[in-house]
Amino acid sequence: MSATAKAGQIGRSLPRLEGRAKVTGRAEYIHNLRLPGMVHGKIFRSAVAHGRIRRVDTAAAKALSGVFAVVTSDDIRKVISNPYYGPAFHDQPILAIDKVRHVGEPVAVVLAEDPHVAEEAMRLIIAEYDELPAVTDEVEAMTSTVIVHDALKPAGIFPDLKHLEGRKGTNVALDFHLRRGDVKQAFAEATHVFEHTFRTQPVMHTPLEPMVSAAEPGDGTLTIHTASQSPSFVRMEVARLLGWPENRVRVKTAFLGGGFGAKLYIKLEALVAALALLARRPVKISLAMDEQFFTITKHPSTFRIKSAVDKDGRVTARECEVWWNGGAYADVGPRVTQKSGFTAAGPYDIDNVAIDSYALYTNRPPAGALRGFGIPQLVWAYESHTDMIARALGIDPVEFRRRNILRDGRPQATGTVMKDAAIDKVLDRLVQRLGWSRPFDRGQGSVKRGRGLAVGFKASIAPTTSVAILNLYADGSCGLYCSTVDMGQGSDTAMAQIAAEVLDIPAETVRVVHPDTDVTPYDMATLGSRSTYHMGHAVKRAAEDARVKIDALKADLGVPPGSNVPLAELFRRKYGMQAGNIVGVGSFVPSYASPDHDTGLTPNATPFWMVGGTGAEVEVDTETGHVRVARLINVADLGTPINPRIVETQLSGGAIMQLGFTMQERMEFADGQLLNPNLADYKIPGMRDLPARIESEAVDAVERGGPFGAKGVGETATFGVSPAIANAIDAAVGVRLTELPLTPEAVYRALRKAGR
Amino acid sequence: MTPFDLVEPPSLGEALKLLEPDDSAVRPLAGGTALMLLMKSGFFRPKRLVSLRAAGERLARIRIEPNGELRIGAMVRLAALEWAPEVRRDFPVIGHTLRTLANVRVRNVATLGGHLAHADPHSDLPPVLIALGACLVLAGPRGERAVPVEGFATGHYETVCKGDELIVEATIPPLGRRRAAYAKCTTRSADDWPALGIAVAWDDDGAIRSPRIVLGAATERPTRLKAAEALIAGRTLDGALLTRAGEAAAEEADVVADARGSVSYKKQLVKVYVARALRAAGAGPAAP
Ligand SMILES: Cc1cc2nc3c(=O)[nH]c(=O)nc-3n(C[C@H](O)[C@H](O)[C@H](O)COP(=O)(O)OP(=O)(O)OC[C@H]3O[C@@H](n4cnc5c(N)ncnc54)[C@H](O)[C@@H]3O)c2cc1C
Repeated sequence: MSATAKAGQIGRSLPRLEGRAKVTGRAEYIHNLRLPGMVHGKIFRSAVAHGRIRRVDTAAAKALSGVFAVVTSDDIRKVISNPYYGPAFHDQPILAIDKVRHVGEPVAVVLAEDPHVAEEAMRLIIAEYDELPAVTDEVEAMTSTVIVHDALKPAGIFPDLKHLEGRKGTNVALDFHLRRGDVKQAFAEATHVFEHTFRTQPVMHTPLEPMVSAAEPGDGTLTIHTASQSPSFVRMEVARLLGWPENRVRVKTAFLGGGFGAKLYIKLEALVAALALLARRPVKISLAMDEQFFTITKHPSTFRIKSAVDKDGRVTARECEVWWNGGAYADVGPRVTQKSGFTAAGPYDIDNVAIDSYALYTNRPPAGALRGFGIPQLVWAYESHTDMIARALGIDPVEFRRRNILRDGRPQATGTVMKDAAIDKVLDRLVQRLGWSRPFDRGQGSVKRGRGLAVGFKASIAPTTSVAILNLYADGSCGLYCSTVDMGQGSDTAMAQIAAEVLDIPAETVRVVHPDTDVTPYDMATLGSRSTYHMGHAVKRAAEDARVKIDALKADLGVPPGSNVPLAELFRRKYGMQAGNIVGVGSFVPSYASPDHDTGLTPNATPFWMVGGTGAEVEVDTETGHVRVARLINVADLGTPINPRIVETQLSGGAIMQLGFTMQERMEFADGQLLNPNLADYKIPGMRDLPARIESEAVDAVERGGPFGAKGVGETATFGVSPAIANAIDAAVGVRLTELPLTPEAVYRALRKAGR
Repeated sequence: MTPFDLVEPPSLGEALKLLEPDDSAVRPLAGGTALMLLMKSGFFRPKRLVSLRAAGERLARIRIEPNGELRIGAMVRLAALEWAPEVRRDFPVIGHTLRTLANVRVRNVATLGGHLAHADPHSDLPPVLIALGACLVLAGPRGERAVPVEGFATGHYETVCKGDELIVEATIPPLGRRRAAYAKCTTRSADDWPALGIAVAWDDDGAIRSPRIVLGAATERPTRLKAAEALIAGRTLDGALLTRAGEAAAEEADVVADARGSVSYKKQLVKVYVARALRAAGAGPAAP
């Protein structure tokens, strides 16, 4: 291409392409969108956790001046006859039908031109319920006589859920089982057996831009503008609900003010689609912060883990039972249950493994994907368990991990042989950074110091598809069309760097076209740290395809292949004027083998492994239980960093988010009600909650299957944070916490109980 | 939110006339940080808000009187109070307290009058003002009256300020030989409302004279811990006294449980933080 072009776009800490637009307030967000003739919707929500709807009285709301319409499920069914949606199960009604299954479930919607009028009218709606007993705990849900769904309705997208079709009388939405080796025998022969149970609490993603969607009816078409991480899925699912071909539904996104898994699959999109068709005018719904807590959460979990250890401190068998509290609608919980089930036994080389992982329906707000897809809950348990075993055996926790660590070339629990997973390297770098072998200041007076570490890993989601189009315009400039959503993780910049590397041009000259299903091609979704790997490949292939076409054009014009005739000049020679395009297309779907239904084994569980570890130094105030994290070290294997600076912020950002889930955040329920659906009482970390020192490092590693050696990073730093801190607390004051969050009162109570 | 009137009277007198003591939907508006939250959640639906923004110089100023008394207008922003040189010099405990009150954004907008009138039991300043012996000047249709900050709040969000009255200013006597400190304890995040706050002050003549130990946030309203005060009066601080004072305070404090902690945990915190506040005040320089 141009003679001044630079190679070396990979590994370049290019500032984010959208940085300037964001800090100057010019970046596009759906939140700011105003459509001509638009009405605003305000959702009326259930006040009970489980109940039969006796009556919804909308008369007073309808009578309020300025109200355009009040809509219930009866109206929705006029435009969508079977209004149930969901990626795993078609279990979630657009508005509640007959029953409500969690507090905050949408029951009705008021439409008005003035959002304040809509809100005012919403408060005038009266609903009466025959309350039903509710089940809220994931372990109780296994055996409870309270059944959340009368029959299970798998969406048919996951082949592994088909056997659940129509099953009745259970809250189990998915059970995943893995059996490897002879667990029974190994336990019988064990020198030591350890068993512990760990729990995690309900928390929320808290994107600072709450969910927002708008739908605009056209002539037999529908355009949905939505802050979504999965525009392609939204189109497919809305088209399915309407019984329309996909080409009549158009889904557009803009920048997202954070996603973290909250804005995946369908959230408000089916609702605004139905409302727009009913109203015959554009409808927009912008959630308030409190409503997000009722929309999607992170799975609370209970994890019973049991290990057999031989006389040399080698783990010979492990039994894992994990219960996932999926809330009232499955969302993508079944996939969390299965994919995380693969790695529940931890990054250790264990010959005999039994894993049982259950996705459960309860009368809680739905749970879905949240930065780590279940992995942080698992690592919390298995890395706490690891330290507890080491402590009990009097072995240094690092040494104990080294004896058991899973190395490349060895099979993991599913039987898949590890490759390009630098688990040992991550551990080594943590140990070095912590100065593990050097003496450590243990504090004085009432403040005690301790340090701990933890390492976790994750199988990427598979198999999923990404498609990219690269368009070279007549002047030689470049547009990159892909449906990866930049929600703050810097994907626009990374994709531009990948395209630029292939085309040998500066990445900042690549224009990334944002998801618009009429324009940009299919992508499964922006989730699970999959974009760099999957879309990265598709973009690379699209750019390579374009190069091949440039070379063909050169050959066509008799220009020698190595020449530096600018592309614009080639076009001019070809078409006699500034005209034409070169369109490169690339698509990518990795190979994958589904786990065997009975044994959970597969030779190919994942296209790549993500590995993340955390080291923590803490100070514990033994008089009050306050824990100050003085130093937090995040080390990860993410292959080759495409953009080192963005990688570093992904690592520190992920760690800080998990720090909130570790130390502070908890949705508090009492009598079925959520007590703290607001940021005054649901406390995410503020600046002064952050550790004085946060260090992030990508180990020197290459993912041979990845584009330019890269793989995902968005979730990696979340894995080890919780157990590293709990392990450090134990090292400091000798108490063990097994339930998150690690609040001052919890620590203080543990200290008192231990008589310290 | 439904439409309402927002008025900005040009004087205190005009403002008082626009209040309607019998209509709870008419309220004075200061920084609005508390009111806006109530309005957003639907708890408060105003008919008229009487902004005090232009209600006169007296509400807007910070002044040290010739006798050393500090006068703070009700409309003074918490951030202005935090940074005022005369306050930093003569009443360092106030600036120190404000630094951990909410966050910069709230302090830039919230006012002293709004902070006190709101009477959220979790407020940071009332215990400090009580420890320092501060008074409030209230203006109403029958003129002005002074009330001590101690006793101003009567319960959750309730005060002796009547519906037709406004806080005009706060007065704080000169510190003199008083030592003072405030220890704030949060349990959910660093910038949370306090789980409890302990303000202490005493005259230092080598021994502790006229001590005040005030507990905020953990009780229905800011409360003096008089048994602990009596215990330290006339004594000099040492480790044993700190422990005993803490224990006495925990014993007498009528703490309430909430999302920030159970009763037994908060009692422990009272014990620890009373000792810490006393130690901090004892360690700091006595006022000149
Ligand atoms: C995010 C957040 C965090 C916070 N954290 C803390 C914290 O850590 N510690 C803490 O102490 N506080 C905290 N606060 C509370 C904060 O201090 C109060 O919101 C603030 O002081 C109220 O002041 P304002 O000027 O905004 O009052 P407004 O909201 O304007 O008014 C509050 C009340 O006072 C009445 N009022 C106002 N002025 C007068 C007057 N002159 N005379 C009579 N009545 C009057 C109003 O009618 C209203 O009822 C926090 C608030 C927020 C929003």
